[in-house]
Amino acid sequence: MTARRALLAAVLLLALGAATVGVWRPFDAEAGGDPVRRLAGQLRCPACQGESVADSQSPIAVAMRQVIADQLARGRTPGQVRAYLVDRYGPDVLAAPPAHGAGLVLWLLPAVVLVGTTGAAIWRGRRRGRGKAGGRSDEHPPSGTRDRSRRRRDRQLAGRRFPLVWNLAATAVVAGVVAVAVVGTLGGGDRPPPAVPADPVPGQLALARQLEQQGQFDAAAEVYRTVLASRPDDGVRLRLAFTLVRSGRPVEAAGLADQVLAARPDDPQSLLVLGLAQRATRSAAATDTLRRFLAVDPANPAAPEIRRLLDEG
Amino acid sequence: MSRTPRITRRRVLATVAALLVVSVLGVVLAVALGRDGAADPTADRIGRPAPGLAGPTLDGGRVELAGLRGSVVLVNVFASWCGPCRDELPLLADAQRRWAARGFRVIGVDVRDGPDAARALLAQTGADQLTVLPDPTGVIAVDWGAVGVPETYLVGPDGRIEAWERGPVTAGWLQRRVDPLLGKPAPGPGEEPG
Repeated sequence: MTARRALLAAVLLLALGAATVGVWRPFDAEAGGDPVRRLAGQLRCPACQGESVADSQSPIAVAMRQVIADQLARGRTPGQVRAYLVDRYGPDVLAAPPAHGAGLVLWLLPAVVLVGTTGAAIWRGRRRGRGKAGGRSDEHPPSGTRDRSRRRRDRQLAGRRFPLVWNLAATAVVAGVVAVAVVGTLGGGDRPPPAVPADPVPGQLALARQLEQQGQFDAAAEVYRTVLASRPDDGVRLRLAFTLVRSGRPVEAAGLADQVLAARPDDPQSLLVLGLAQRATRSAAATDTLRRFLAVDPANPAAPEIRRLLDEG
Repeated sequence: MSRTPRITRRRVLATVAALLVVSVLGVVLAVALGRDGAADPTADRIGRPAPGLAGPTLDGGRVELAGLRGSVVLVNVFASWCGPCRDELPLLADAQRRWAARGFRVIGVDVRDGPDAARALLAQTGADQLTVLPDPTGVIAVDWGAVGVPETYLVGPDGRIEAWERGPVTAGWLQRRVDPLLGKPAPGPGEEPG
């Protein structure tokens, strides 16, 4: 193999690799990780223009993500969840066109065009090769550099070994890309639910955080309560307590902090939220609780603010 | 290349044919798929059994749609963060006052909202007599196929969806849709659902 041919082969291999990686990555990113996001990515947000349920921040898209998470967690397959949403929002909720009727044409057309053009290109290339290898040189008398280059081309084409290799390689690239695309599109469609069912809690916690950021503390508290009902966790309990303080319900917040402190008397976050709740109810114990918080965790990000509050009195 | 490409008759014909095929295909697809999309996929929800609706209400009670067979129930999906809902709620409260004796009931579904904000909205709009089911995560709204707020579903005495409206309803809509479904006025005592 000459150096030139080796270089060409290397370029070809590189192109094949790049094509495969390029096509595979989007599917892989969709398939891997969060099954809720994956399914949401295949659905169109009914309240938006051209946005998927996974990407839209519209309230109904957020609610649809919650529904997907809930249903997958209950062990329903992605196909069942899709059917549930199609039943409510119609087939237009699916991002991919339906594989029947006119929609089938959209699926088949690219394959037909691909196979057709590849076939035509190969056929043409081979015919031209034969033609050039044949009587062409009689038409134009050979002379100078053109003659040299033609001779080289004729040599390559006459044997048809080189075009054949190229044709096969090009077909392999196209076939590889098509195979990856088909596997990526269809393969993951109705995979059984993961062994560990999707957990709705992370989604709910994200929703609560988002509501907190929007200043909707009541709604956030409601969501934290939902999470707590299924997962009695001290972290969530304290988040709820903080939210309650901010939504003007300090008595309830103090109760939650007390619950955590009963098990862990020196937990700084519980002391902080209890102190703030007591302060909101103008309880005399507030100063004491907040001083304890500062003593337990002087480096806490909230500490400077608490010192300022205590200095104010 | 010294040879100029020859424009043969055959080549022109082939180009025209290719353009023609592509155009025809485009038009056929646009028409066929456009028709698919134009038929409102949610229109067939009329006449279907209403989805379930049950749970604790905002005022600490409990509501169950299945237990309200025989009544005409208007299910209104709303939220305190929705402007048009604010204008619509007084109409709904008024309709319930007017038609309660004839077996009409309004159930609000408060989507992705906080109970305090919802209570404040109901008080401000004089709609605090309405039964409201909090839906903080929005899953009830999705179960009903709601796309936004407000959205209204009218459930007939047999538990089937009789009418559905995206966006705020008007007094005229209520009159046209609700009144024909209702029984005769002045029912006997104890007929009020709840």
